[in-house]
Amino acid sequence: MYQYDVIDKEFTQDRVAEFREQVERRLAGEITEDQFKPIRLLNGLYLQLHAYMLRIAIPYGTLTSKKLRKLAWIASTYDQGYGHFTTRTNLQLHWIKLKDAPEILAALGEVGMHSMQTSGNTIRNVTADPYAGAAADELDDPRVWAEAIRQWSTLHPEFSFLPRKFKIAVTASAKDRAATRVYDIGLAMRRGRGGELGFEVMVGGGLGRTPYLGPTIREFLPTRHLLSYLQAILRVYNRYGRRDNIWKARIKVLVASLGAEEFARQVEAEWAKSEQEQVDLPDIELARIRADFTPRFEPLKPRSEAVEALKASDPAFARFVRHNVHPHKVPGYALVDVSLKTPGQTPGDMTSEQMNVAADLAETYSLDEIRVNYTQNLILPHVKLDDLPAVYAALKASGLATPNIDLISDIIACPGLDYCALANARAIPVAQHIAERFADPERAEAIGELKIKISGCINACGHHHVGHIGILGVDKKGEEFYQVTLGGSGEEDAALGSMLGPALPADKVTDAVEQMVEVYLRERRDGERFLDTFRRTGVAPFKEAVYADAH
Amino acid sequence: MKALTGNLLLNGEAVFWADGKWVARFRDAELFDDGARAEAAEGLAKSQQTVVVDPYLIDVIESEGLWAPLSFRERVRCLGPTNHPQHGKQALGGDDIDALRHAHGAARSTGRVNLIKRK
Repeated sequence: MYQYDVIDKEFTQDRVAEFREQVERRLAGEITEDQFKPIRLLNGLYLQLHAYMLRIAIPYGTLTSKKLRKLAWIASTYDQGYGHFTTRTNLQLHWIKLKDAPEILAALGEVGMHSMQTSGNTIRNVTADPYAGAAADELDDPRVWAEAIRQWSTLHPEFSFLPRKFKIAVTASAKDRAATRVYDIGLAMRRGRGGELGFEVMVGGGLGRTPYLGPTIREFLPTRHLLSYLQAILRVYNRYGRRDNIWKARIKVLVASLGAEEFARQVEAEWAKSEQEQVDLPDIELARIRADFTPRFEPLKPRSEAVEALKASDPAFARFVRHNVHPHKVPGYALVDVSLKTPGQTPGDMTSEQMNVAADLAETYSLDEIRVNYTQNLILPHVKLDDLPAVYAALKASGLATPNIDLISDIIACPGLDYCALANARAIPVAQHIAERFADPERAEAIGELKIKISGCINACGHHHVGHIGILGVDKKGEEFYQVTLGGSGEEDAALGSMLGPALPADKVTDAVEQMVEVYLRERRDGERFLDTFRRTGVAPFKEAVYADAH
Repeated sequence: MKALTGNLLLNGEAVFWADGKWVARFRDAELFDDGARAEAAEGLAKSQQTVVVDPYLIDVIESEGLWAPLSFRERVRCLGPTNHPQHGKQALGGDDIDALRHAHGAARSTGRVNLIKRK
């Protein structure tokens, strides 16, 4: 895990002192709300329905036990004892007081964290494959590159006032666990013909009001040129991105209007004339960053008799292993998904007590690392197979061992109208009702992989466009209605969902999901996921089932 | 009928105007049946920059013999998040909280008066 050096620490402390003074001036009436609002937003502090919300950056979703314990402490000291993990792998605290915000930022600084660039028209917190450094299929640890981007982009003077916010995701595996096709820039590491490593560069993806899958503008960019090439993309966007219309200001609109080829040509021209060597990372700095991402694995046997024995005697443990435990690149280790989706609970919410349990487990059993997945779950990335029974028991005792990863009750939901000032409808209760309907783990397992994603407004923080079943809350004359889309995916088979039909009232949504699941179970062929069956049959049988009553 | 609401600068809490003061519970809010008086109160509230952020008028309807904001969004502000009934003002309980929970409104979008600013 990257450690802040002296420069990083001083920089963070200076920033906290600056914000403390700005808050004091605002409370004293020396600056107006119009002057203060952009300042607080640059520190991740929003004003929402019930209180201020602080969005804390978790770069590439990686935490240590010390960091997670500090988040738990902040949540119980300054909030109501819980936090909400988001689809951008950040943590949101929903009951913050303005007067406490500088103290919280100071506490974050003590453990090398901050909330900079979690808002505003800047390069936001960089995300990466949550299995980084552990996935069997990765070419490199993508966090090395994500950290380089974080350092380069943090308070970058040229890119602090972009036309609109800007998000970058990095993966180094063929399996896309970072939703790179729906990011402003998605970077996917590839191996070149000569064995060298480079990035496929996708630009102009995004969700929101006008969703796009990002086209590839360069098939292979040698890794050493990453930063200068990003600079060229940002410069073209900064120059030509629209500033006259907030709904057309994202880079996806520029790429779509120019066409990917013309956009790529302009980036290449900009890149060719830039002084690349002044921006690209020197090897020595790259090596310094890389040294912080090299955990010490022990040589272990690839099979654990203790695990096999418990799987044979405890069906619940066997189910947990089937759904929440994944192969690791090092024999004898495993990745363990920690579900924050217990049916009936708020997706992505975690209490301070649970955070402390996860931190203890990370410290004892996972080389002191824990990850946040954009699916709003956590991951213990480096667990020895022999330790799985102990980890499972501890997670189970804290309500964190629900065996539902990628199943129907593993639902993404944004905070929606329960908290968010932008929302049109609630998302959380919809997720809770669906998950409770499918709470039976045997039934959920029989249905198999099915990703439901729910947003409370068109900004699409809940990624509804790329849900196998996507659900979007809309306001129809003051009543909550929900538009359903089918067939989306945010992975390597990325696709935007197709509309099912007219929006449904809130009390019909769970029934509609059940009707669609029944259609899938009736229509599916051997080995087909819900998504596969939908892609084969199209929307017609699903539409017929859900709207049968209306005919 | 209208009420005047905003969020306290210090902690972001949703509050309501009552005769020149800000109160936490909607049942204690001052109601305006006179548009000019409501707008005058809004003007005063906007001058209290170190107390409240972005005050605005909302439409109010009758519910179970009591009053409730017309829009669902505003009722959520009066109550707290529906996924955590123990959080927010709803934790206090009472007839006024029940009336807010049972209210049915039909506001376009936010129920906020004059939200659309015409240039």
